[in-house]
Amino acid sequence: MNALPGLLFDGLAYGSLLFLVSIGLSITMGLMNFINLAHGAFAMIGGYASVWFSHRFGMPFLATLPLAFAVAGLAGLIAERVLFRHLYRASHLDQVLFTVGFVFSSIAAATYLFGSAQQSVSLPAALQGQVQVMGVDLGRYRLFLIGAVVVLSAGLGLLMTRTRFGAQVRAAVDNRDAAEGLGLNVGLVFSLCFGLGTGMAGLGGALGVEVLGLDPGFALKYMVYFLLVVVVGGAGTLSGPLVASMLLGVCDVAGKYYLPQAGAFIIYVLMIVLLLAFPKGLGLGRPSLSRLPLSILVRRRA
Amino acid sequence: MPDLLSVEGLCAGYGEARVLNDIGFALRPGESLALLGRNGVGKSTLIRSLIGLTRRQGGRLRFAGADITAAPPFRRARAGIGWVPQERAMFPSLSVEEHLTTVARRGPFDLARVYDIFPRLAERRANMGNQLSGGEQQMVAIARALMTNPRLLLLDEPMEGLAPIIVHDLAAVIRRLIAESGLSVIVVEQHARLALSMTARAMVLDRGRIVHDGPSTELLEDNDKLGRLVAVAA
Ligand SMILES: Nc1ncnc2c1ncn2[C@@H]1O[C@H](COP(=O)(O)OP(=O)(O)OP(=O)(O)O)[C@@H](O)[C@H]1O
Ligand SMILES: [Mg+2]
Repeated sequence: MNALPGLLFDGLAYGSLLFLVSIGLSITMGLMNFINLAHGAFAMIGGYASVWFSHRFGMPFLATLPLAFAVAGLAGLIAERVLFRHLYRASHLDQVLFTVGFVFSSIAAATYLFGSAQQSVSLPAALQGQVQVMGVDLGRYRLFLIGAVVVLSAGLGLLMTRTRFGAQVRAAVDNRDAAEGLGLNVGLVFSLCFGLGTGMAGLGGALGVEVLGLDPGFALKYMVYFLLVVVVGGAGTLSGPLVASMLLGVCDVAGKYYLPQAGAFIIYVLMIVLLLAFPKGLGLGRPSLSRLPLSILVRRRA
Repeated sequence: MPDLLSVEGLCAGYGEARVLNDIGFALRPGESLALLGRNGVGKSTLIRSLIGLTRRQGGRLRFAGADITAAPPFRRARAGIGWVPQERAMFPSLSVEEHLTTVARRGPFDLARVYDIFPRLAERRANMGNQLSGGEQQMVAIARALMTNPRLLLLDEPMEGLAPIIVHDLAAVIRRLIAESGLSVIVVEQHARLALSMTARAMVLDRGRIVHDGPSTELLEDNDKLGRLVAVAA
Protein backbone atom coordinates (compact mmCIF):
# COMPACT_ATOMS: atom_id res chain seq x y z
CA MET A 1 0.00 0.00 0.00
CA ASN A 2 1.18 3.48 -0.85
CA ALA A 3 2.24 5.32 2.31
CA LEU A 4 2.60 8.69 0.63
CA PRO A 5 -0.88 10.21 1.18
CA GLY A 6 -0.77 9.28 4.85
CA LEU A 7 2.72 10.71 5.25
CA LEU A 8 1.75 13.88 3.48
CA PHE A 9 -1.23 14.25 5.78
CA ASP A 10 0.81 13.63 8.92
CA GLY A 11 3.43 16.06 7.66
CA LEU A 12 0.83 18.77 7.09
CA ALA A 13 -0.60 18.26 10.57
CA TYR A 14 2.89 18.45 12.02
CA GLY A 15 3.61 21.53 9.91
CA SER A 16 0.40 23.17 11.13
CA LEU A 17 1.59 22.80 14.69
CA LEU A 18 5.01 24.20 13.83
CA PHE A 19 3.34 27.14 12.16
CA LEU A 20 1.06 27.81 15.12
CA VAL A 21 4.00 27.87 17.52
CA SER A 22 6.43 29.72 15.26
CA ILE A 23 4.23 32.46 13.85
CA GLY A 24 4.55 34.49 17.02
CA LEU A 25 8.31 34.19 16.82
CA SER A 26 8.20 35.39 13.23
CA ILE A 27 6.04 38.35 14.19
CA THR A 28 8.17 39.45 17.11
CA MET A 29 11.47 38.91 15.33
CA GLY A 30 10.16 40.89 12.38
CA LEU A 31 8.73 43.69 14.51
CA MET A 32 11.46 44.15 17.05
CA ASN A 33 14.47 42.56 15.41
CA PHE A 34 14.72 40.61 18.63
CA ILE A 35 16.28 37.13 18.53
CA ASN A 36 14.08 35.25 20.94
CA LEU A 37 15.32 31.70 21.51
CA ALA A 38 12.97 31.46 24.49
CA HIS A 39 9.87 31.34 22.32
CA GLY A 40 9.48 27.57 22.80
CA ALA A 41 9.30 28.10 26.56
CA PHE A 42 5.95 29.84 26.06
CA ALA A 43 4.69 26.94 23.99
CA MET A 44 5.73 24.73 26.90
CA ILE A 45 3.88 26.97 29.38
CA GLY A 46 0.75 26.56 27.28
CA GLY A 47 1.19 22.79 27.24
CA TYR A 48 1.61 22.56 31.00
CA ALA A 49 -1.31 24.94 31.55
CA SER A 50 -3.55 22.64 29.53
CA VAL A 51 -2.36 19.54 31.40
CA TRP A 52 -2.64 21.24 34.78
CA PHE A 53 -6.17 22.55 34.28
CA SER A 54 -7.41 19.16 33.11
CA HIS A 55 -5.72 17.18 35.90
CA ARG A 56 -6.44 19.63 38.65
CA PHE A 57 -10.01 20.58 37.81
CA GLY A 58 -10.98 17.75 35.52
CA MET A 59 -11.59 20.19 32.68
CA PRO A 60 -12.12 18.66 29.25
CA PHE A 61 -9.17 19.05 26.86
CA LEU A 62 -10.92 21.46 24.51
CA ALA A 63 -11.90 23.76 27.40
CA THR A 64 -8.28 24.04 28.50
CA LEU A 65 -7.17 25.41 25.11
CA PRO A 66 -8.33 29.01 25.63
CA LEU A 67 -6.69 28.91 29.05
CA ALA A 68 -3.43 27.68 27.52
CA PHE A 69 -3.58 30.64 25.17
CA ALA A 70 -4.34 33.06 28.00
CA VAL A 71 -1.68 31.77 30.40
CA ALA A 72 1.08 31.72 27.78
CA GLY A 73 -0.01 35.07 26.38
CA LEU A 74 -0.01 36.68 29.80
CA ALA A 75 3.35 35.12 30.67
CA GLY A 76 4.75 36.48 27.41
CA LEU A 77 3.30 39.92 27.99
CA ILE A 78 4.81 40.10 31.46
CA ALA A 79 8.18 38.71 30.36
CA GLU A 80 8.29 41.25 27.53
CA ARG A 81 7.43 44.19 29.77
CA VAL A 82 9.75 43.17 32.58
CA LEU A 83 12.68 41.49 30.80
CA PHE A 84 12.88 41.34 27.01
CA ARG A 85 11.99 44.98 26.37
CA HIS A 86 15.36 46.02 27.75
CA LEU A 87 17.18 43.86 25.20
CA TYR A 88 15.77 45.38 22.00
CA ARG A 89 18.75 47.68 21.69
CA ALA A 90 21.24 45.08 22.88
CA SER A 91 23.46 43.12 20.50
CA HIS A 92 22.11 39.93 18.99
CA LEU A 93 24.66 37.96 21.01
CA ASP A 94 23.30 39.43 24.25
CA GLN A 95 19.78 38.59 23.13
CA VAL A 96 20.79 35.01 22.35
CA LEU A 97 22.60 34.55 25.66
CA PHE A 98 19.78 36.02 27.68
CA THR A 99 17.01 34.05 26.01
CA VAL A 100 18.99 30.79 26.18
CA GLY A 101 19.34 31.48 29.90
CA PHE A 102 15.58 31.96 30.02
CA VAL A 103 15.12 28.54 28.37
CA PHE A 104 17.29 26.83 30.98
CA SER A 105 15.39 28.57 33.76
CA SER A 106 12.14 27.36 32.23
CA ILE A 107 13.48 23.78 32.14
CA ALA A 108 14.39 23.98 35.82
CA ALA A 109 11.04 25.54 36.74
CA ALA A 110 9.06 22.93 34.80
CA THR A 111 11.04 20.08 36.37
CA TYR A 112 10.46 21.55 39.83
CA LEU A 113 6.74 22.05 39.32
CA PHE A 114 5.77 19.04 37.21
CA GLY A 115 8.65 16.57 37.41
CA SER A 116 10.63 15.31 34.46
CA ALA A 117 8.05 12.81 33.15
CA GLN A 118 6.33 13.03 29.77
CA GLN A 119 2.87 14.55 30.13
CA SER A 120 -0.21 13.39 28.33
CA VAL A 121 -3.70 14.69 27.64
CA SER A 122 -6.92 12.78 27.26
CA LEU A 123 -8.56 13.66 23.99
CA PRO A 124 -12.35 13.63 23.70
CA ALA A 125 -13.71 10.54 21.98
CA ALA A 126 -14.70 12.56 18.93
CA LEU A 127 -11.06 13.37 18.25
CA GLN A 128 -9.77 9.82 18.65
CA GLY A 129 -9.33 7.21 15.96
CA GLN A 130 -9.43 7.54 12.22
CA VAL A 131 -11.77 8.57 9.50
CA GLN A 132 -11.61 7.26 5.93
CA VAL A 133 -11.42 9.95 3.30
CA MET A 134 -11.21 8.70 -0.29
CA GLY A 135 -9.72 5.43 0.81
CA VAL A 136 -7.05 6.98 3.04
CA ASP A 137 -7.16 6.61 6.81
CA LEU A 138 -6.75 10.01 8.42
CA GLY A 139 -6.31 10.58 12.15
CA ARG A 140 -9.21 12.61 13.46
CA TYR A 141 -7.00 14.59 15.81
CA ARG A 142 -4.61 15.53 13.02
CA LEU A 143 -7.53 16.59 10.88
CA PHE A 144 -8.71 18.74 13.77
CA LEU A 145 -5.22 20.25 14.10
CA ILE A 146 -5.09 21.26 10.47
CA GLY A 147 -8.58 22.74 10.67
CA ALA A 148 -7.79 24.65 13.84
CA VAL A 149 -4.65 26.14 12.34
CA VAL A 150 -6.44 27.15 9.15
CA VAL A 151 -9.07 28.97 11.21
CA LEU A 152 -6.51 30.61 13.50
CA SER A 153 -4.32 31.75 10.61
CA ALA A 154 -7.30 33.26 8.85
CA GLY A 155 -8.22 35.01 12.08
CA LEU A 156 -4.71 36.36 12.47
CA GLY A 157 -4.71 37.55 8.87
CA LEU A 158 -7.99 39.37 9.41
CA LEU A 159 -6.74 40.91 12.64
CA MET A 160 -3.72 42.31 10.83
CA THR A 161 -5.53 43.55 7.71
CA ARG A 162 -8.95 44.56 8.89
CA THR A 163 -8.67 46.00 12.39
CA ARG A 164 -7.37 49.23 13.80
CA PHE A 165 -4.94 47.26 15.94
CA GLY A 166 -3.58 45.53 12.83
CA ALA A 167 -3.16 48.87 11.08
CA GLN A 168 -1.28 50.20 14.10
CA VAL A 169 1.06 47.21 13.99
CA ARG A 170 1.71 47.74 10.28
CA ALA A 171 2.28 51.46 10.78
CA ALA A 172 4.71 50.80 13.63
CA VAL A 173 6.67 48.33 11.50
CA ASP A 174 6.67 50.54 8.42
CA ASN A 175 7.95 53.61 10.21
CA ARG A 176 8.36 53.44 13.95
CA ASP A 177 9.30 57.10 14.46
CA ALA A 178 6.41 58.42 12.42
CA ALA A 179 3.95 56.10 14.18
CA GLU A 180 5.21 57.20 17.58
CA GLY A 181 5.27 60.88 16.59
CA LEU A 182 1.64 60.63 15.47
CA GLY A 183 0.47 59.32 18.81
CA LEU A 184 0.73 55.54 18.59
CA ASN A 185 2.10 53.90 21.72
CA VAL A 186 4.44 51.68 19.76
CA GLY A 187 5.94 50.04 22.85
CA LEU A 188 2.48 48.90 23.94
CA VAL A 189 1.58 47.72 20.44
CA PHE A 190 4.74 45.61 20.41
CA SER A 191 4.01 44.20 23.87
CA LEU A 192 0.54 43.16 22.77
CA CYS A 193 2.01 41.53 19.67
CA PHE A 194 4.45 39.67 21.85
CA GLY A 195 1.61 38.49 24.09
CA LEU A 196 -0.44 37.46 21.07
CA GLY A 197 2.53 35.54 19.65
CA THR A 198 3.32 33.73 22.89
CA GLY A 199 -0.39 33.02 23.35
CA MET A 200 -0.50 31.33 19.95
CA ALA A 201 2.64 29.43 20.88
CA GLY A 202 0.95 28.32 24.12
CA LEU A 203 -2.05 27.14 22.16
CA GLY A 204 0.33 25.27 19.87
CA GLY A 205 2.05 23.74 22.88
CA ALA A 206 -1.28 22.54 24.26
CA LEU A 207 -2.48 21.17 20.94
CA GLY A 208 0.93 19.60 20.45
CA VAL A 209 1.11 17.52 23.64
CA GLU A 210 -0.48 14.64 21.73
CA VAL A 211 1.87 15.00 18.75
CA LEU A 212 5.14 16.51 19.97
CA GLY A 213 4.97 15.36 23.58
CA LEU A 214 5.65 17.55 26.58
CA ASP A 215 8.44 17.39 29.11
CA PRO A 216 10.67 20.04 30.67
CA GLY A 217 13.12 19.83 27.76
CA PHE A 218 10.45 20.86 25.24
CA ALA A 219 11.71 24.39 24.65
CA LEU A 220 15.22 23.18 23.93
CA LYS A 221 14.21 20.12 21.91
CA TYR A 222 12.13 22.06 19.41
CA MET A 223 14.05 25.35 19.44
CA VAL A 224 15.76 24.46 16.19
CA TYR A 225 12.47 23.70 14.46
CA PHE A 226 10.92 27.04 15.42
CA LEU A 227 14.02 28.91 14.34
CA LEU A 228 14.16 27.00 11.07
CA VAL A 229 10.62 28.05 10.27
CA VAL A 230 11.48 31.69 10.76
CA VAL A 231 14.91 31.59 9.11
CA VAL A 232 13.64 29.72 6.08
CA GLY A 233 10.27 31.45 5.94
CA GLY A 234 11.40 34.98 6.68
CA ALA A 235 10.60 36.98 9.80
CA GLY A 236 7.66 39.32 9.95
CA THR A 237 5.55 37.61 7.32
CA LEU A 238 2.69 35.16 7.49
CA SER A 239 3.12 33.45 4.12
CA GLY A 240 6.81 32.58 4.39
CA PRO A 241 6.56 30.75 7.74
CA LEU A 242 3.39 29.00 6.55
CA VAL A 243 5.13 27.51 3.53
CA ALA A 244 8.28 26.79 5.54
CA SER A 245 6.32 25.02 8.30
CA MET A 246 4.52 22.77 5.84
CA LEU A 247 7.73 21.92 3.97
CA LEU A 248 9.51 21.20 7.20
CA GLY A 249 6.64 19.12 8.57
CA VAL A 250 6.25 17.00 5.45
CA CYS A 251 10.00 16.50 4.89
CA ASP A 252 10.61 15.62 8.53
CA VAL A 253 7.83 13.03 8.63
CA ALA A 254 8.63 11.61 5.20
CA GLY A 255 12.36 11.61 5.88
CA LYS A 256 12.01 9.67 9.09
CA TYR A 257 9.85 7.11 7.25
CA TYR A 258 11.88 6.61 4.09
CA LEU A 259 15.39 7.27 5.45
CA PRO A 260 15.20 6.34 9.12
CA GLN A 261 18.98 6.13 9.38
CA ALA A 262 19.27 9.81 8.40
CA GLY A 263 16.57 10.62 10.96
CA ALA A 264 16.37 14.19 12.17
CA PHE A 265 19.24 15.18 9.93
CA ILE A 266 16.91 15.56 6.93
CA ILE A 267 15.62 18.94 8.06
CA TYR A 268 19.10 20.42 8.20
CA VAL A 269 19.76 19.32 4.64
CA LEU A 270 16.45 20.88 3.73
CA MET A 271 17.40 24.12 5.42
CA ILE A 272 20.74 24.29 3.62
CA VAL A 273 19.10 23.62 0.27
CA LEU A 274 16.36 26.18 0.87
CA LEU A 275 18.73 28.86 2.08
CA LEU A 276 20.96 28.29 -0.94
CA ALA A 277 17.95 28.62 -3.21
CA PHE A 278 16.32 31.49 -1.28
CA PRO A 279 19.10 33.21 0.67
CA LYS A 280 16.66 35.83 1.92
CA GLY A 281 14.04 33.34 3.06
CA LEU A 282 10.79 32.45 1.35
CA GLY A 283 9.21 35.68 2.53
CA LEU A 284 8.70 37.06 -0.96
CA GLY A 285 12.27 38.19 -1.35
CA ARG A 286 12.53 40.13 1.90
CA PRO A 287 15.61 39.66 4.07
CA SER A 288 14.80 37.08 6.67
CA LEU A 289 16.20 38.42 9.91
CA SER A 290 15.68 42.14 9.75
CA ARG A 291 12.72 44.42 10.40
CA LEU A 292 9.99 43.51 8.00
CA PRO A 293 6.41 44.45 7.45
CA LEU A 294 4.12 41.69 8.48
CA SER A 295 1.83 42.95 5.85
CA ILE A 296 3.62 41.75 2.79
CA LEU A 297 1.44 38.69 2.55
CA VAL A 298 -1.69 40.51 3.36
CA ARG A 299 -1.20 43.82 1.62
CA ARG A 300 -4.40 44.78 -0.08
CA ARG A 301 -4.25 45.78 -3.68
CA ALA A 302 -6.39 48.72 -4.61
CA MET B 1 -3.06 84.66 26.85
CA PRO B 2 -0.70 81.99 28.22
CA ASP B 3 1.78 80.47 25.79
CA LEU B 4 0.81 77.26 24.03
CA LEU B 5 4.42 76.18 23.62
CA SER B 6 7.49 77.39 25.40
CA VAL B 7 11.04 76.22 24.80
CA GLU B 8 13.83 77.16 27.19
CA GLY B 9 17.55 76.60 26.70
CA LEU B 10 16.96 73.58 24.49
CA CYS B 11 20.10 71.70 23.45
CA ALA B 12 19.55 68.59 21.38
CA GLY B 13 21.06 66.37 18.72
CA TYR B 14 21.68 62.75 17.82
CA GLY B 15 23.62 60.57 20.25
CA GLU B 16 26.62 62.56 21.40
CA ALA B 17 26.46 64.97 18.47
CA ARG B 18 24.89 68.32 19.28
CA VAL B 19 22.87 70.08 16.61
CA LEU B 20 20.76 72.62 18.53
CA ASN B 21 22.23 75.09 21.00
CA ASP B 22 20.33 77.05 23.60
CA ILE B 23 17.08 77.39 21.67
CA GLY B 24 14.49 79.54 23.40
CA PHE B 25 11.15 80.79 22.10
CA ALA B 26 7.44 80.74 22.90
CA LEU B 27 4.35 80.41 20.77
CA ARG B 28 0.87 81.69 21.57
CA PRO B 29 -2.35 79.88 20.62
CA GLY B 30 -3.19 80.62 16.99
CA GLU B 31 0.24 82.06 16.23
CA SER B 32 1.92 81.11 12.94
CA LEU B 33 5.68 80.87 12.72
CA ALA B 34 7.96 80.40 9.71
CA LEU B 35 11.15 78.52 10.58
CA LEU B 36 13.83 79.45 8.06
CA GLY B 37 17.49 78.73 7.50
CA ARG B 38 19.91 77.16 5.05
CA ASN B 39 20.24 73.42 4.48
CA GLY B 40 21.45 71.48 7.46
CA VAL B 41 21.20 74.24 10.08
CA GLY B 42 18.92 72.16 12.28
CA LYS B 43 15.35 73.06 11.29
CA SER B 44 14.16 69.46 11.14
CA THR B 45 16.10 68.68 14.28
CA LEU B 46 14.15 71.41 16.08
CA ILE B 47 10.85 70.09 14.77
CA ARG B 48 11.81 66.53 15.77
CA SER B 49 12.89 67.78 19.19
CA LEU B 50 9.44 69.30 19.73
CA ILE B 51 7.79 65.94 18.98
CA GLY B 52 10.47 64.16 21.02
CA LEU B 53 12.46 62.20 18.47
CA THR B 54 15.96 63.53 19.13
CA ARG B 55 18.35 63.17 22.04
CA ARG B 56 17.68 66.06 24.42
CA GLN B 57 20.90 67.30 25.97
CA GLY B 58 19.50 70.15 28.03
CA GLY B 59 16.65 72.63 28.45
CA ARG B 60 12.93 72.42 29.09
CA LEU B 61 9.72 72.24 27.05
CA ARG B 62 6.20 73.19 28.10
CA PHE B 63 3.09 72.60 26.04
CA ALA B 64 -0.50 73.50 26.84
CA GLY B 65 0.32 74.16 30.47
CA ALA B 66 2.18 70.91 31.10
CA ASP B 67 5.87 70.12 31.29
CA ILE B 68 6.58 67.76 28.39
CA THR B 69 10.38 67.75 28.75
CA ALA B 70 10.45 64.06 29.60
CA ALA B 71 7.32 62.96 27.70
CA PRO B 72 7.77 60.34 24.97
CA PRO B 73 6.68 61.27 21.42
CA PHE B 74 3.30 59.54 21.54
CA ARG B 75 2.32 61.49 24.67
CA ARG B 76 3.33 64.78 23.06
CA ALA B 77 1.29 63.88 19.99
CA ARG B 78 -1.69 63.06 22.19
CA ALA B 79 -1.21 66.31 24.10
CA GLY B 80 -1.88 68.11 20.83
CA ILE B 81 1.23 68.35 18.68
CA GLY B 82 0.55 67.34 15.06
CA TRP B 83 3.61 66.45 13.03
CA VAL B 84 4.03 66.49 9.25
CA PRO B 85 7.50 64.97 8.82
CA GLN B 86 9.96 66.03 6.17
CA GLU B 87 9.76 63.62 3.22
CA ARG B 88 6.26 62.63 4.35
CA ALA B 89 7.01 59.34 6.11
CA MET B 90 4.24 57.32 4.48
CA PHE B 91 3.27 53.91 5.79
CA PRO B 92 3.63 51.74 2.65
CA SER B 93 1.39 48.97 3.95
CA LEU B 94 -1.48 51.24 4.99
CA SER B 95 -4.17 52.51 2.67
CA VAL B 96 -4.83 56.25 2.51
CA GLU B 97 -7.88 55.83 4.70
CA GLU B 98 -5.96 53.72 7.21
CA HIS B 99 -3.33 56.45 7.44
CA LEU B 100 -6.12 58.71 8.64
CA THR B 101 -8.14 56.39 10.87
CA THR B 102 -5.18 54.72 12.59
CA VAL B 103 -4.02 57.94 14.23
CA ALA B 104 -7.45 59.61 14.57
CA ARG B 105 -8.46 61.25 17.81
CA ARG B 106 -11.72 62.95 18.66
CA GLY B 107 -12.13 66.59 17.67
CA PRO B 108 -13.27 68.91 14.90
CA PHE B 109 -11.17 67.18 12.22
CA ASP B 110 -12.72 63.88 11.16
CA LEU B 111 -12.67 61.88 7.93
CA ALA B 112 -15.46 63.91 6.36
CA ARG B 113 -13.81 67.24 7.09
CA VAL B 114 -10.38 66.09 5.97
CA TYR B 115 -11.78 64.67 2.71
CA ASP B 116 -13.53 67.97 2.26
CA ILE B 117 -10.19 69.78 2.51
CA PHE B 118 -8.46 67.24 0.24
CA PRO B 119 -11.09 65.80 -2.15
CA ARG B 120 -8.31 64.00 -4.02
CA LEU B 121 -7.71 61.79 -0.97
CA ALA B 122 -11.32 60.67 -0.95
CA GLU B 123 -10.78 59.38 -4.50
CA ARG B 124 -7.57 57.62 -3.47
CA ARG B 125 -8.80 56.31 -0.11
CA ALA B 126 -8.12 52.66 -1.00
CA ASN B 127 -4.64 53.24 -2.46
CA MET B 128 -1.62 52.17 -0.46
CA GLY B 129 0.88 54.68 0.94
CA ASN B 130 3.47 53.84 -1.69
CA GLN B 131 1.08 54.11 -4.64
CA LEU B 132 0.65 57.87 -4.47
CA SER B 133 2.18 60.83 -6.23
CA GLY B 134 4.38 63.20 -4.25
CA GLY B 135 1.59 65.73 -3.96
CA GLU B 136 -0.88 63.11 -2.78
CA GLN B 137 1.60 61.83 -0.22
CA GLN B 138 1.99 65.33 1.12
CA MET B 139 -1.78 65.68 1.36
CA VAL B 140 -1.91 62.40 3.29
CA ALA B 141 0.83 63.60 5.62
CA ILE B 142 -1.04 66.83 6.39
CA ALA B 143 -4.44 65.14 6.60
CA ARG B 144 -2.99 62.48 8.90
CA ALA B 145 -1.62 65.13 11.27
CA LEU B 146 -4.97 66.96 11.24
CA MET B 147 -6.78 63.73 12.17
CA THR B 148 -4.89 63.76 15.48
CA ASN B 149 -6.75 67.03 16.15
CA PRO B 150 -3.68 68.97 17.21
CA ARG B 151 -3.46 72.43 18.74
CA LEU B 152 -0.03 72.94 17.19
CA LEU B 153 0.76 71.81 13.66
CA LEU B 154 4.41 71.23 12.70
CA LEU B 155 4.94 71.31 8.94
CA ASP B 156 8.44 70.30 7.87
CA GLU B 157 8.97 71.38 4.25
CA PRO B 158 5.48 70.51 3.05
CA MET B 159 6.19 71.81 -0.47
CA GLU B 160 9.46 69.96 -1.01
CA GLY B 161 9.73 68.37 -4.45
CA LEU B 162 6.23 69.30 -5.61
CA ALA B 163 5.20 70.76 -8.96
CA PRO B 164 4.45 74.54 -8.87
CA ILE B 165 0.74 74.08 -9.46
CA ILE B 166 0.49 71.69 -6.51
CA VAL B 167 2.58 74.00 -4.32
CA HIS B 168 0.07 76.72 -5.13
CA ASP B 169 -2.92 74.59 -4.09
CA LEU B 170 -1.26 73.28 -0.96
CA ALA B 171 -0.18 76.77 0.10
CA ALA B 172 -3.81 77.87 -0.20
CA VAL B 173 -4.88 75.01 2.07
CA ILE B 174 -2.24 75.85 4.67
CA ARG B 175 -3.15 79.54 4.55
CA ARG B 176 -6.77 78.65 5.15
CA LEU B 177 -5.87 76.38 8.07
CA ILE B 178 -3.86 79.15 9.67
CA ALA B 179 -6.59 81.72 9.14
CA GLU B 180 -9.67 79.69 10.02
CA SER B 181 -8.86 76.79 12.31
CA GLY B 182 -7.26 78.60 15.24
CA LEU B 183 -4.33 76.18 15.06
CA SER B 184 -0.84 77.29 15.96
CA VAL B 185 1.47 76.44 13.09
CA ILE B 186 5.23 76.16 12.66
CA VAL B 187 6.20 75.80 9.02
CA VAL B 188 9.68 74.98 7.77
CA GLU B 189 10.15 76.00 4.17
CA GLN B 190 13.01 76.42 1.70
CA HIS B 191 11.09 79.05 -0.22
CA ALA B 192 11.44 81.80 2.33
CA ARG B 193 9.06 84.22 0.63
CA LEU B 194 6.30 81.66 0.42
CA ALA B 195 6.68 80.82 4.11
CA LEU B 196 6.81 84.49 5.09
CA SER B 197 3.68 85.22 3.10
CA MET B 198 1.79 82.53 5.01
CA THR B 199 2.88 83.40 8.56
CA ALA B 200 2.80 86.25 11.03
CA ARG B 201 6.20 85.63 12.56
CA ALA B 202 9.54 84.29 11.36
CA MET B 203 12.50 82.73 13.08
CA VAL B 204 15.84 82.03 11.39
CA LEU B 205 18.23 79.31 12.47
CA ASP B 206 21.93 79.18 11.73
CA ARG B 207 24.20 76.39 12.89
CA GLY B 208 21.76 75.31 15.56
CA ARG B 209 21.08 78.75 17.02
CA ILE B 210 18.29 81.26 16.61
CA VAL B 211 19.79 84.24 14.77
CA HIS B 212 16.60 86.17 14.05
CA ASP B 213 13.08 86.33 15.47
CA GLY B 214 10.53 88.92 14.32
CA PRO B 215 7.42 89.67 12.27
CA SER B 216 7.33 88.03 8.84
CA THR B 217 6.58 91.32 7.11
CA GLU B 218 9.86 92.77 8.35
CA LEU B 219 11.88 90.17 6.41
CA LEU B 220 9.54 90.30 3.41
CA GLU B 221 10.18 94.02 3.08
CA ASP B 222 13.93 93.93 3.74
CA ASN B 223 15.46 92.02 0.85
CA ASP B 224 19.05 92.50 1.95
CA LYS B 225 18.42 91.24 5.42
CA LEU B 226 16.51 88.23 4.14
CA GLY B 227 19.34 87.49 1.71
CA ARG B 228 21.91 87.68 4.47
CA LEU B 229 19.96 85.38 6.79
CA VAL B 230 18.84 82.74 4.33
CA ALA B 231 19.76 81.82 0.80
CA VAL B 232 16.65 83.13 -0.91
CA ALA B 233 15.04 80.88 -3.42
CA ALA B 234 12.11 82.32 -5.39
N1 LIG C 1 19.50 61.12 12.24
C1 LIG C 1 20.59 61.89 12.31
N2 LIG C 1 21.71 61.43 12.90
C2 LIG C 1 22.82 62.19 12.99
N3 LIG C 1 22.91 63.44 12.51
C3 LIG C 1 21.83 63.97 11.89
C4 LIG C 1 20.62 63.21 11.77
N4 LIG C 1 19.72 63.98 11.11
C5 LIG C 1 20.34 65.13 10.86
N5 LIG C 1 21.60 65.15 11.32
C6 LIG C 1 22.56 66.26 11.24
O1 LIG C 1 22.03 67.34 11.97
C7 LIG C 1 22.27 68.56 11.28
C8 LIG C 1 20.98 69.30 11.09
O2 LIG C 1 20.14 68.54 10.26
P1 LIG C 1 18.62 68.93 10.02
O3 LIG C 1 18.00 67.82 9.25
O4 LIG C 1 18.00 69.32 11.28
O5 LIG C 1 18.78 70.21 9.09
P2 LIG C 1 17.67 71.01 8.27
O6 LIG C 1 17.85 72.42 8.63
O7 LIG C 1 16.34 70.42 8.47
O8 LIG C 1 18.15 70.78 6.77
P3 LIG C 1 17.29 70.63 5.43
O9 LIG C 1 16.95 72.00 5.01
O10 LIG C 1 18.24 69.99 4.48
O11 LIG C 1 16.11 69.80 5.72
C9 LIG C 1 22.97 68.20 9.98
O12 LIG C 1 24.34 68.45 10.14
C10 LIG C 1 22.70 66.74 9.81
O13 LIG C 1 23.82 66.12 9.18
MG1 LIG D 1 15.00 69.46 7.29
